[in-house]
Amino acid sequence: MTPRDEEELAAMVRAAAGPLRVQGGGTKADMLRPVRAAAVLSTAAMSGITLYSPSELVLRARAGTRLAEIESVLAAHGQQIIAEPPRFFGPAQTIGGVVASNISGPRRIGGGAMRDHVLGVRAVNGSGEILNFGGRVLKNVTGLDLAKLLTGSFGTLAVMTEVTLKVLPAAEAVGTVVVPAADARAAVEVMAAGLGSPFSVSGAAYLPRDARAYLRIEDFAESVAYRCAKLAGGVAGAEILGGEESKALWAGIRDCAALPPGEAVWRVSVRPSAGPGVLRDVAFAGVSGFMDWGGGLLWLSGPATRAAHEAVCAAARGGAGVWWLMRGPEALRAAVEVIPPEAPALAALRRRMTAKFDPRGIFNPLKMWAA
Amino acid sequence: MRAMKQLDPKPEILARRGEIIAGLLRILPKRAVIAEAVSLKPYETDALTAYRQVPLAVVLPEDEGQVVDILKFCAAEGVRVIPRGAGTSLSGGALPLADSVVVGLMRMNRILEVNYPDRYAVVQPGVTNIGITRAVADAGYFYAPDPSSQLACMVGGNVGMNSGGAHCLKYGVTANNLLGLRLVTMAGEVLELGGTHCDAAGYDWLGLVTGSEGQLGILTEVTVRILRAPEGARAMLAGFASNEVAGECVAAIIASGIIPVALEFMDRPAIHACEAFAHAGYPLEAQALLIIEVEGSEDEQDATLRRLREICERFAPVSMRVARTDEESAAIWKGRKGAFGAVGRISPDYLCMDGVIPTSRLGEVLRRIEEMSEDYGLKVANIFHAGDGNLHPLIMYDANEPSSFARAERFGAEILTLCVEAGGCLTGEHGVGVEKRELMRVQFSPGELEQMRAVKDVFDPHWLLNPAKVFPL
Amino acid sequence: MQTNFTQAQLADPEIAVANEILRRCVHCGMCTATCPTFVTLGDELDSPRGRIYLIKDMLENGRDAGVEEALHIDRCLSCLSCMTTCPSGVDYMHLVDHARAHVEKTFNRPLADRLMRAALAWVLPHPARLRAALRLARPVRGLGFLLPGSGMLTKRLRGMLRLAPRGLARAAVVGRVYPAMGARRARVALLAGCAQQVLAPSINAASVALLNRLRVEVVIPPEAGCCGALVHHMGRDAAAREAARANVAAWVAELDGAGLDAVLVNTSGCGTVVKDYGFLLRHEAGAADAARISALTQDISEFLLKIYQPARVAPGLRVAYHAACSLQHGQQVTAPPKTLLRKAGFEVMEPKDAHLCCGSAGTYNIMQPEISAGLRRRKLETLRELRPDVIAAGNVGCLTQLAGDGVPAVHVVELLDWMAGGEKPLALS
Ligand SMILES: Cc1cc2nc3c(=O)[nH]c(=O)nc-3n(C[C@H](O)[C@H](O)[C@H](O)COP(=O)(O)OP(=O)(O)OC[C@H]3O[C@@H](n4cnc5c(N)ncnc54)[C@H](O)[C@@H]3O)c2cc1C
Ligand code: SF4
Ligand code: SF4
Repeated sequence: MTPRDEEELAAMVRAAAGPLRVQGGGTKADMLRPVRAAAVLSTAAMSGITLYSPSELVLRARAGTRLAEIESVLAAHGQQIIAEPPRFFGPAQTIGGVVASNISGPRRIGGGAMRDHVLGVRAVNGSGEILNFGGRVLKNVTGLDLAKLLTGSFGTLAVMTEVTLKVLPAAEAVGTVVVPAADARAAVEVMAAGLGSPFSVSGAAYLPRDARAYLRIEDFAESVAYRCAKLAGGVAGAEILGGEESKALWAGIRDCAALPPGEAVWRVSVRPSAGPGVLRDVAFAGVSGFMDWGGGLLWLSGPATRAAHEAVCAAARGGAGVWWLMRGPEALRAAVEVIPPEAPALAALRRRMTAKFDPRGIFNPLKMWAA
Repeated sequence: MRAMKQLDPKPEILARRGEIIAGLLRILPKRAVIAEAVSLKPYETDALTAYRQVPLAVVLPEDEGQVVDILKFCAAEGVRVIPRGAGTSLSGGALPLADSVVVGLMRMNRILEVNYPDRYAVVQPGVTNIGITRAVADAGYFYAPDPSSQLACMVGGNVGMNSGGAHCLKYGVTANNLLGLRLVTMAGEVLELGGTHCDAAGYDWLGLVTGSEGQLGILTEVTVRILRAPEGARAMLAGFASNEVAGECVAAIIASGIIPVALEFMDRPAIHACEAFAHAGYPLEAQALLIIEVEGSEDEQDATLRRLREICERFAPVSMRVARTDEESAAIWKGRKGAFGAVGRISPDYLCMDGVIPTSRLGEVLRRIEEMSEDYGLKVANIFHAGDGNLHPLIMYDANEPSSFARAERFGAEILTLCVEAGGCLTGEHGVGVEKRELMRVQFSPGELEQMRAVKDVFDPHWLLNPAKVFPL
Repeated sequence: MQTNFTQAQLADPEIAVANEILRRCVHCGMCTATCPTFVTLGDELDSPRGRIYLIKDMLENGRDAGVEEALHIDRCLSCLSCMTTCPSGVDYMHLVDHARAHVEKTFNRPLADRLMRAALAWVLPHPARLRAALRLARPVRGLGFLLPGSGMLTKRLRGMLRLAPRGLARAAVVGRVYPAMGARRARVALLAGCAQQVLAPSINAASVALLNRLRVEVVIPPEAGCCGALVHHMGRDAAAREAARANVAAWVAELDGAGLDAVLVNTSGCGTVVKDYGFLLRHEAGAADAARISALTQDISEFLLKIYQPARVAPGLRVAYHAACSLQHGQQVTAPPKTLLRKAGFEVMEPKDAHLCCGSAGTYNIMQPEISAGLRRRKLETLRELRPDVIAAGNVGCLTQLAGDGVPAVHVVELLDWMAGGEKPLALS
């Protein structure tokens, strides 16, 4: 089912006889648990930017609008999506899918995640009602923030039909300070120093492949030059990359270019100082990857085995953090906890919550949790 | 005087007052329970004094265990509960009900952990907003959201209201600066939401609870992100001949690609009130004033200020001044942050609105407010966060004159309705509280309100937590 | 804020003033955060805003003060930190003064309380009586721990004993006129004070010596005595006004006689009240004179600012400046003492939370020993962080409160006089 507008989508939901696999471009179908549904409900045909006001820093688009389209329109006005969503999932990604999965790129560490810039959401709930939460202004605390609740809910509560984002001017210039780092621990130290500096570092990543930590500065050209020089000053072996090289480097980090090939891919979020421990603790299972967010985000890949998955879970738990199984064969995704299970009280709450949005349980059933 | 209908107290609860207080005294130390009529009186209101109601009792827990005990007890007894921080809400968020127990969190005021390498702090809800920054300032860090009330308001209340501040144009509001929460539900269950890492796997409970105005549970612990402070910051003032021109200047600044750390707007009455309080050298001849702050090294500040001055000059400013010293910057901010109180010098009472509009509609909306001000015969001072369109019209009235408040209230409702019609919303940072409860229908459809109520139901099926707020009765 | 007074109530000029003050308060709560009692007790009722509300309710209802009102008003230090913070300019001082008088008039305190307060009011403002009392107390100074129990009375008595200095120096200033050294540049009256004369006579001695050295003639009319602050803060309005009247008369005689350029006060707690004589006596025959005196009154640091010159090479001491509440909040005098100390060559530092009271607050340390001790501890901790050689303040109450922690505590003028050629403060040798 590919409704052309919200009304049609709502009617389809009302008429649905059983579970629906809710998706945009379908690029995240093999992320988290497999959804068993008779029908697919796709927003891909509901596309188009419905409002863009550069001087007000807002952009609104129908859920099925492709990320690439939005980014090129923004770029034409010198603006950008703040959270820098990865293109890891290919060109068919829609903005609805990006918001529903709340996946952010390197800039999350300073500029915030997708969830921080979703100003409003229109959605259809499981009863087929069209609802509008949030709005199109930059600040809004009117009522419960259900736009936030829907962001990152992977289509399990309601089907988003339109989203409104805060956007920002893209920086005039970008530069990168490259610091050799013997291991992950040394890299986290470098990154912590950068993020703990007064220079508004907008990206801090470590690629074991290169044995280097990278610190990004985005600002006016004079500031980039000054700040990069300050960050590099006195650091043994530090180098500064210019704009073009920097852009290519950070696009690669954003899109996981440095992730070793593997049948399964995970993301782990921990507090930054726990990042090296995660890398260390998954190595024995043949899992490896790189660090972003100053050490707080790990993209990992490895064999699609239960053992590898358990190793990732244990490592994430060890760092008091969380994990997502981003990609893997269906059998694995159906068998394991693709995200951490909730404490019993919270799980009960969540089940009641899902029922309030989707009483028949038809949206992406069991996408996030087994029960 | 109170025009607004209140929720009827439950007679069976009022009748059992003595028993309930005795019950509270069984689970709490004596010093934590306030029950005498005289002592309950000062708890009858918050910073929105137009609404008042003495509660059944006030309790002041000292740790999470006591909060759990209180909520379990109240849930079992069917007693309504009103969480309260510093009581600086401007929307009546902490207004009691006659049959309610106010739970004041101000004794839970310890900073539990500060972690610089991972850049977070764990605090109890009764720590003041500025208390976090003071605790980490020596190490060069700060906590970004800075409501004007930051000296007094508490983190629990900030999370409750998802408070913003002058610097949230760059650094975001409370929701953007949190990592984790501990929340006690009405059933007395302790939920850990988020943690010390970024982003939730699973639903964004953290985001949902932030700004939920005490509807979902009582916060007992908050983990916030702390940031390294920039090398320096400086404010500049630019005065303009009219509100419209100042509004256009704001749009031009944003369009230029500069996002200042703060971009604040005051109209003429506000300029005068604040200058009388802070002696900051605000231009008294201007009709509208922008306070613009930039950050970075001295050179960076100079460079950005130069760009900003060039932009401002296109709008024929009547005055322009850059703070030369930290003291001058501090005085400029003292005036802005004390603005509401400063209005207290020129008017005995005010209602502070908090609507948000698309910034392109600024001139037009301000003009309409001016017209309404004449129609209602009430003066209004406008102070607001210009970068994000968050207006704070302060409607001045005299509570001792009976018709004055009713007019002020209608005036306020009309302003907020205008904001919604202009494409904005009822409240940008102060919350709905009791004040804007009935106006929720202007912004949301019945179905939307029903969905929100359903979410409240999930956490608090018997509607005991801070009822009669947020949702229209 | 809305108030509910009847026309009849408002006919009372005192109520009219209170109404004006209450109307200014917008109940924003900003003041709560800087109030020492709210910060330590965490109860709205122990915050300025809560007290204002309690007072409002009591006055509106024309109610006698009860246990609750008395408790929370008594706990107020009158440090006036709230007034510094308040953006609306609420005159909390006069409101709480009014409330204290109301409590004193209408509340039947427990006997022990009454006796204690009466004793303090009888002894403290009178140097001779205080000296006698201390002579009795001195031998048992260290024996406070022997007092039985942990009740309020015991704590209060322990607090009192702590006050007693180890040795009593002879009263240093006697007589009436202290001529300038060299050509006279000004003539001032100095408030000699009451308890200070006994507890720290060196302060007056240093003040007079320094002023004389700076070619200022100092007169201390014997008819002038206690400023009235101690009884004023107990709500003993009549006694306070009596003291004020006597002082005004004595100084006006000098003013209209040999002339005065200023009335100087070196105990800021007293200074706040003397600067307010105009208000205190506003309904009396001598109102105009009182207003003249108030207008002429300065803290000694304000006066010295224009004329102070050091004469010695500074010894490079680290001075932790403790801002007395009555000076920083009551009189809004903040920079002069620090400027002077720096000019004298000291390294001047200020503790964290400098706005918070040390807990001395007149007789507060005796009447509210627990809260006072808590505040003392907190203040000493923040002072200690500075690793100072000496603590300096402009108020004898604070000095007594902060003494005994290993770091000597002296009055600002003692340091200034030393650097201007006077004696080294005893506490430093
Ligand atoms: C002069 C002045 C200036 C202001 N400026 C700003 C500003 O610039 N920006 C801004 O956003 N706001 C501003 N405010 C509004 C107010 O300060 C904020 O809403 C603040 O966050 C309230 O904090 P509080 O501690 O006073 O909370 P309270 O007023 O006590 O409570 C606020 C809400 O949170 C709930 N709550 C409190 N603690 C908890 C808890 N532990 N758990 C669950 N719920 C809780 C309460 O039930 C209530 O609904 C201003 C207010 C004043 C008086
Ligand atoms: S700060 Fe001033 S106006 Fe605000 S509550 Fe305190 S006394 Fe009232
Ligand atoms: S005078 Fe001091 S103790 Fe009293 S209310 Fe004001 S700040 Fe608090």
